[in-house]
Amino acid sequence: MTITSAPVTGEATKTWSGRAMPRKEDWRLVQGQGSFVDDGGMYGQGYAWFVRSPYGHARIVSIDCEPALSMDGVYTVLTGEEAKAMCEAPFFAIAPPPGSLMQEWPLAVGKVRYQGDAVAVVLADSRETARDAAERIVVEYEPLPAVTEGVAAADPTAPLLYDEAGTNVVWHGVFDYGDVDWALENADHVVKLDRLHFHRFSSTPLECNGAVVDFDHGTGMVSVLSNYQMPMFAAMVIGPTIGVPMNKFNFVTKDIGGAFGLKIGFYPQIAALALLSKKAGRPAKWTEFRTEHMLTAGHGNERTFIDIEVPVMADGTILGVKARAFDDAGAYLHYEPLGAVIWSQVVPGCYKLKHVRVDYTEVVSNKCPVTPNRGYSRMQHLWMIERIVDVVAHELGLDPVEVRKRNYVQPEDYPYETPNGCIYDSGDLPRSLDIALELAHVDEWRARQRELGTGSGRRIGIGIGSTLDSGTNNFGQSRIINPELPFSGNGEVAIAKLDLFGEINVNLGTTPQGQGHETTASQVAADILGVTPDDVTVSTGFNQANNAYVGFSGTYASQFAVTGLCAVMGAAQKLRHQIVKLAAFALHADEDEIELAGGVARVRGDEERAIPFIGLANMVYTNNAGLPAELLNECDLNARYAYVPPFEVPDTVAKTGNLTLTYASQVHVCVVEIDEETGEVKILDYAAVDDCGKRINPLVVEGQVHGATGLGIAASLYESLDYDESGQLEEPSFYEYHVATSLDIPNIVCGDIESPSPFTPNGAKGMGEGGGAPLHAVCSAIQDAIGAGGPIVTDSHNHWARVYEMLQRAPGAPRGVEVISRSAGSDTGATSL
Amino acid sequence: MLLEQVEYVRPESVGDALEILASDEGAAPLAGGQSLVNVLKNRVASVDVLVDISRLAELSSIARTADGGLSIGACVTYDALDRSPEVRASHWMLGEVAAHIEDQQIRNKGTIGGNCCLSDPTNNLPPILVALGAVMELRSRTGERSVPAVDFFKGYFATALEPGELLVSVTVPPIPEHSGAGYASLAVGADAKALVRAAARVTLDGSGATIADSCLVLARVAHVPVRDAEAEARLNGADATEEAVRAACAGVADGMQPIADVHGSSEYRRQMAKVTARRAVVQAIAAARGSRNGSTAGGK
Repeated sequence: MTITSAPVTGEATKTWSGRAMPRKEDWRLVQGQGSFVDDGGMYGQGYAWFVRSPYGHARIVSIDCEPALSMDGVYTVLTGEEAKAMCEAPFFAIAPPPGSLMQEWPLAVGKVRYQGDAVAVVLADSRETARDAAERIVVEYEPLPAVTEGVAAADPTAPLLYDEAGTNVVWHGVFDYGDVDWALENADHVVKLDRLHFHRFSSTPLECNGAVVDFDHGTGMVSVLSNYQMPMFAAMVIGPTIGVPMNKFNFVTKDIGGAFGLKIGFYPQIAALALLSKKAGRPAKWTEFRTEHMLTAGHGNERTFIDIEVPVMADGTILGVKARAFDDAGAYLHYEPLGAVIWSQVVPGCYKLKHVRVDYTEVVSNKCPVTPNRGYSRMQHLWMIERIVDVVAHELGLDPVEVRKRNYVQPEDYPYETPNGCIYDSGDLPRSLDIALELAHVDEWRARQRELGTGSGRRIGIGIGSTLDSGTNNFGQSRIINPELPFSGNGEVAIAKLDLFGEINVNLGTTPQGQGHETTASQVAADILGVTPDDVTVSTGFNQANNAYVGFSGTYASQFAVTGLCAVMGAAQKLRHQIVKLAAFALHADEDEIELAGGVARVRGDEERAIPFIGLANMVYTNNAGLPAELLNECDLNARYAYVPPFEVPDTVAKTGNLTLTYASQVHVCVVEIDEETGEVKILDYAAVDDCGKRINPLVVEGQVHGATGLGIAASLYESLDYDESGQLEEPSFYEYHVATSLDIPNIVCGDIESPSPFTPNGAKGMGEGGGAPLHAVCSAIQDAIGAGGPIVTDSHNHWARVYEMLQRAPGAPRGVEVISRSAGSDTGATSL
Repeated sequence: MLLEQVEYVRPESVGDALEILASDEGAAPLAGGQSLVNVLKNRVASVDVLVDISRLAELSSIARTADGGLSIGACVTYDALDRSPEVRASHWMLGEVAAHIEDQQIRNKGTIGGNCCLSDPTNNLPPILVALGAVMELRSRTGERSVPAVDFFKGYFATALEPGELLVSVTVPPIPEHSGAGYASLAVGADAKALVRAAARVTLDGSGATIADSCLVLARVAHVPVRDAEAEARLNGADATEEAVRAACAGVADGMQPIADVHGSSEYRRQMAKVTARRAVVQAIAAARGSRNGSTAGGK
């Protein structure tokens, strides 16, 4: 169903934009004609295999490569010490001290810090030989005590990952907005929660990481064919380490089989492959295997919230929240500790919380390094906010729907400034919730829930997940972590070109992984240039040689519809301007008389006076004698445009500022049935209402909604990455880690409303991450099924054993929650439950 | 897949296969490869010679035995079990279990022999074969022997097979009159590994009101399928009603120390063993009464 508010008017969105069109790229992808990183190669390449630590934490005593080097077909082996000797510096650190003291090199040096940490890499004439050789390398380890839990890692007595840092704490900061102490003193109720835990999981892309890297000794060029999703970030991080300037890199991506943020994390492997290639004098190809991926390619951030206090008024108005957060970044800081500030894009969640204090600590532990993972860092915080709103309703006996509606940012409040200066651009949360409740048949399920009563062995629960998908980062927020960082703003580049025979080509700095960029970019360009999307070729993936990039180019953080498509819009408009100018010259007309339609420029009202695009291309490229120099200078038919969103540098002391440009919102409603004797959770009904502003292609949007919903449901019920005390990953393969398939995901009913963003040229908002809505909704539904007086759902992951345990927990056992109520002016009467 | 270097031979007959297996300690039979190749891929075991028996016709047939049972060749695939009219006619639940093993591609390749000989504790067929009283027919260059299924599974990826021995077929006795089989699993997720399973065979008395005899097998409680003799004793003579079965199954696994792994704690397994045991026995009673009430039971 589609409920559309007033359409955005604009030059750029006339015909093709807004249409639910099937994706152009699907045609080749479903026929097996996609080209992924492992489909590519370079002449003379060897195959790389990483030697990885079986220990969670150990000192490297010795490495004997001789047994591998003596094998036929082995080109070379590179160890961590050797790699370090070839480097000019450790990887660039985002954190100030002590985080910046936690140095990382392309391969582990001196010690290993998590299971899977790479200590050496082999290059051989086949994958088989490389793997066999890697197994013959003898690494002697001296195991060390490990720390695998975030709160424990912050304890000064915990085993240290980096002795030189003297602590496992990467970064600590207090985000303090409003006056939460006042709110806690003056609230009618204070709801206290001991602990909420957001678990580790991954988005499990179909395609694992991979790269083919060549270090050309002649030119000094480093060519990187990979599926890395933010290529110039990798270049900026590894360039200074391996001594390669930006103009000596050539990063290229092709089709990418899913990334979800995880493919921002493997720059150390690319650096190691570059050094390996440099040493061997031939390209190095590496294709990650699934278990390797699960052990090392990056997990989502795990976050534990403790000492949570929520001031609430008697009518259900929530004044704010106070909490301590411990984020566990794993063993190395890949992109971290950016997560320590990214969450603050959504400080009050969907609600008008005015008083918020989060004491935030990020730590390292003997676990796989985290990477951004769909919903990155905001999802963890939003889940906490949704849990407390849900718990407040349950503990105070209020209707969870009414509590949400009372506290939501209201439609008339937009643009809404949050306590930390972020601007929520637009939306209609109460209406989104109403639509979701209707689509999930909540009235019928409430009736069924009452009928079922007790004794049936089954329980029905209804849950709500309200969330935000903030998009188009202001990288200036990184300065809240480290004021010395030279980053702010954002941007993306597109080049629109009329080719020699008048064909239209668009190059972008993005790295699509299933988001349909070729389709939506074509729609936007087609409208501006008077052609159909089929007439526009959008190059697949990223190619540094195209020169269509800025430092932040890539596909991540829900921003393509804004950064990517506004760049396309700008480039296409520039190209249109050149076309019009050339046509006006050729047709002896005024520029404002020229119109573009069907690949032809013509004089409005005089169809005889027309010139096809091939004619204009001919004038510029192959038949330009006698053309005025002024025209040639202005019309090269290669229009490059960099879209830069309007941002200021945040206040790094107050930790305030506009951290992101757009806020898509999602309200999900989930109905579950729980089998009391097993804890099995079955989803009976599921509705997802998405509001991402003006949609360029509603079909692509719905696909993203389905993907994000499936992922969230999978994480909430099936997928968790856990470590034992020694740092062994308990789910290193699909044997242990159940990746949800279509059989596990219920029918998802989608609804949508369009609240155009006033801050973007096209009214669109970035979307695709989904804000973790299913995690919120499933937890809320389980809470509802457990019912009043039962335990609080304190974990984002609720596999059946955990649900069973909650149902079995004895009455009177600690529930993890306490409500302190103030009666008539005095703070007496603790109703401790 | 990046297997280690391995020799591959495809003998023309079972006799030739046995010769190779006897002469080379590093030789291992390869049937559908759905378990073995995973093991090799993960390099948790090493094999010098893969002896491909998958195309030997003498190992790929399903035959009716004189007493009305089944003789199932070791290389019969899950899919063939599922679609076999003979299996479905007399041992419907065996076909049903096979029908729910993983996905169709795996069912096209995986074999009953491989499922048993690799003895992965999560495998589907061992518990039902134990419950049905199946007998594993082993052959070597020097002779043959029959090992009851209950004695065949020795441990985590370990069986009673001696070096040089090959499982050639599985004999499943006929299901007696007034008898039926049931099978229940609990897995978190549709294609997930079961965290506990139960397989049951019951024989009702002539009136159909009472359980005369039972066999209750639990899997994933230990590394091999185990019978719960105490629960069987409570079932035998009990009313063939859900209430009575529930009471008899309340103590299932109480004397055991169920394994704990990432799929479930020991205590959760114990509790779920009771649930799946009851579900399997109730199905078996329905089957004994001539209903195929277990038709939707996941064979996971």
